[in-house]
Amino acid sequence: MFLSVSKLTKSYNTGVVTHVLKGVGLEMERGQIGVILGPSGSGKSTLMNIIGGVDRADSGTVKVDGQHITDLNDNQLVEYRRESVGFVFQFYNLVPNLTVAENIEVVSNISKHPFKIDEVLSAVGLSDKKNRFPRELSGGEQQRVSIARAIIKNPKLLLCDEPTGALDLESSRDVLSLLQKVNVQFGTTILMITHNSAIAGMAHNLLRLRNGEVAEVTHNSELVPAERIEW
Amino acid sequence: MTLQKRVWRIIKENKGRYIGILILILLGSFYFTAATGIANNLKKMVVKFAEEYKQEDLTFSTDKPIKDIAALEDASGALIETYQQYDIKLPDRQSQLGGELRLLSLSSKINIPAVFSGRGLENPGDILLDPYFYQTQGLSIGSQIELNGKTFNIVGTMAVPNYVFILKNLYDVLPTSGFGIGIISSADIEAFPESATVYGAYFEDRENINAQTTKLHGLLSEKGYSLSEWLDAKNNKRISMPWTNISSMKSMSFPVSIAFFLLSCLIVGVIIMRIVKSDGVVIGTLYAQGYRRRELTRHYIAIPVLLSGLGGLVGTLLALTCVKPVVDSMLIYYILPDKGINFSALNLAVAVLMPVAFIGLSSFLIIRKILKKTAVQLMKGDEQKSKVNFIERALRLDQFKFNTKFRIREQVRSIPRLLFLVLGVSAASMILMFGFTFNYSMDVVMDRGALARYQYPLEYNFKEVQNLQDGAIPEGAEPYNAFRCYPEGRESVEFYLVGMKPDSIGLKMNDMRGNALSKDQVNITYPLASRLKLKEGDTINFVNKLDGKSYSLTIDGIVQAYGEQFVYMPLDEFNHMTGQPFGSYRTVLSSHDIDFDESLLAGVMDARNPEAFEDLAMPTTLIVASVTALAVLIAVIIIFLVTSLMIDESRNTISLLKILGYREKELAKLILNSSTPAVFIGFWLGLPLMLAFGNNLYGYVAEITNLVMPMIVNPLYVLISFVVIFAVYEVTKRLCGKKLAKISMSEALKAGSE
Repeated sequence: MFLSVSKLTKSYNTGVVTHVLKGVGLEMERGQIGVILGPSGSGKSTLMNIIGGVDRADSGTVKVDGQHITDLNDNQLVEYRRESVGFVFQFYNLVPNLTVAENIEVVSNISKHPFKIDEVLSAVGLSDKKNRFPRELSGGEQQRVSIARAIIKNPKLLLCDEPTGALDLESSRDVLSLLQKVNVQFGTTILMITHNSAIAGMAHNLLRLRNGEVAEVTHNSELVPAERIEW
Repeated sequence: MTLQKRVWRIIKENKGRYIGILILILLGSFYFTAATGIANNLKKMVVKFAEEYKQEDLTFSTDKPIKDIAALEDASGALIETYQQYDIKLPDRQSQLGGELRLLSLSSKINIPAVFSGRGLENPGDILLDPYFYQTQGLSIGSQIELNGKTFNIVGTMAVPNYVFILKNLYDVLPTSGFGIGIISSADIEAFPESATVYGAYFEDRENINAQTTKLHGLLSEKGYSLSEWLDAKNNKRISMPWTNISSMKSMSFPVSIAFFLLSCLIVGVIIMRIVKSDGVVIGTLYAQGYRRRELTRHYIAIPVLLSGLGGLVGTLLALTCVKPVVDSMLIYYILPDKGINFSALNLAVAVLMPVAFIGLSSFLIIRKILKKTAVQLMKGDEQKSKVNFIERALRLDQFKFNTKFRIREQVRSIPRLLFLVLGVSAASMILMFGFTFNYSMDVVMDRGALARYQYPLEYNFKEVQNLQDGAIPEGAEPYNAFRCYPEGRESVEFYLVGMKPDSIGLKMNDMRGNALSKDQVNITYPLASRLKLKEGDTINFVNKLDGKSYSLTIDGIVQAYGEQFVYMPLDEFNHMTGQPFGSYRTVLSSHDIDFDESLLAGVMDARNPEAFEDLAMPTTLIVASVTALAVLIAVIIIFLVTSLMIDESRNTISLLKILGYREKELAKLILNSSTPAVFIGFWLGLPLMLAFGNNLYGYVAEITNLVMPMIVNPLYVLISFVVIFAVYEVTKRLCGKKLAKISMSEALKAGSE
């Protein structure tokens, strides 16, 4: 199993103790697309942050490609994020004063074996906009840059937090198609979190979360191409 | 208003930054109040004393007593006072420090004594003493002092305008230990028949003193008086010394404090712009809820007004406490009657209100610009999105490594921020290098200046012109003749024209390359040539200050010298040109003591006691120490402010880079080291700025006081300044590194856009 999450718990104490994850489990094979669905507050972002090595669990285990993430110290987590995980955010999180190419270089700069920037730019269809600044791009284009930045290091796992949350339907389809293309072309395992149940159709695995618990796990054998997704 | 509660919260969130800004503003007000306070109080004491007690414009002696002074006064438009003076040693039993007193007869028209304590002269045998002599000799009012067998009653202490700086000889550098002055009545001084007659003149028309001086000289010469010790107030160190302090303080006070306020304006402007922009959505919402622009302006301007008001007030109050000790320390050698400290209400108001006006106005303009947007525009959050400025857009950095590109982009992201850093570091470097250069220049003047050029340590100056034909000068001594003059049309530049024997060895004279210059030609010292923009082959036209006669000479050589303003020519040609008999001289330089008749001598300069000259340099060490501390403080504040501002403005990026796997050290290198080129440029920009500032300042002081100070840059001190600035930069980076480490990854995860 490429990704294995077992009995994961996490709580926050902000005066009042909130149990965000209550024994969550998840499994995915290498090269699959997984979608985590759930309303706000269901714990999907927390789950993703722990898998991405950005946050720590209270208990339970996360194993990625045989590596126990929950056992890593801070320095090892940095190495893990640096080499194994790519991130795509809802609001792109691009560095505003760097050009498109430079935003991608932010990651290639610290990767051991990155792809060539022009190759990735070509893959995301932004070769002609490499010297633009993020403000000069549409939302969809910015998200493409964000994807290019995430895949330049050829990560084992690509984590996408509401990648279409800020986009219109057309741009969303565009971005989802790109993610599907990345999955196929580079064999990258992708885990997405979303509010949008329509996206579930393009995932091999679907995990529904409700109040920090797994409400439903579904496996999908016939994937819907992103261009045909409607909502 | 509830909104105002946020002001404290905003300040509390970034205490370090606001304290830094407060200190910058405080320094500006402190400096302005202190410098104007010191200059004005010095001026008040010196000028008021000179005006009210009629300080002489001129002192001189004659070969025979002047008859009919009233007629001479009418003809010259001057008040002329005759007074007697007599130097007398105190008997051993009365003197604690080998005291010597110069008795002066009481004057009534000019140089009127101001009584400090006790009372004025009323009865025969009364004496007034200068307060330092009085103190150091342990005397008391009511006690008696015996001089030449005659008993005097000490009735009080006093100051006289022609002895503000009590020098025994006009050629002395520092006051002679144990020497003082005493004033007795004209009747009492008759008990000292060997007393000398000295004249003082005060021109009632306060304009064109030089012309009136020349006229008086002409009138006296016409009447057949031979004049000696003819010295105007400007060149009389007993009078002129405090004026140098006033001029330099005044010229420094305004530009330096304005520079502080402008730097503060720039950084406060950047910070306010950032606060208001990041609050764009809140402002838009408040607009939509019915808040007026005026109310919101009042809210956002509260921080700059509060900081500038508080900084201005505290700086001014601190300065008020410093002025008196500084003035007292500057006046330690000066005897002035009124040492009370006053402050100009206008200056105090300016010191407190100028930062409020400067910073408040610049902040107001920035706030108004942002508040001009509509509620909808603001609520969209456009203000929070970083715009790309024209420099960022124009930069093509493809050929650089990523880290270099990132650092360059980080710096050019905010032009005002970059400008503040560069100018701030320049200002700190400039102050630091100025302190070192000032100190080094003083050392050079001491080591290689006039004293170093003197091969003979003793200089005997005669009251009147002597002649070699009346008696030869002993072996190891040389005759010189000289008069004071000024270039035609530039009376503020005064120099000596010196006649010397072509084979003289008492005065070393090298050209700018260090080669010995012939003394059988006309040579000019470098500082004077540079001031008058003269080179070899040029002609200098000048006027004898004493008699107003014009001369012109062609320059043959330029003498390497520091601070000295002289033109040298062969003695025989000098005497011939000025119409003096062959063999005339007025000064003798000697390698050893010569037993000249003391009544003929105006004074002896003895360079065998270097301590006296070293004492003069002592305050410079203090100045350098305080200037270094100030420069370091400014550098720390500015680098800290910019770095912390940069970290705050890049919080999202830093957080994102952490998520993407950047290590703490890599982040520190990327973000904190990005200022290195700006600090480097700022430092080197400080060097020409320091030279321009120093030359300007010294030029101004030279115009007022005729005192030329060289600006000599020592590469070693430039290197030390460089090390100091970069050490400050490294320490400040470490302080800011902690702030960098505190930024959490969750900030980028929660980020709204971009």
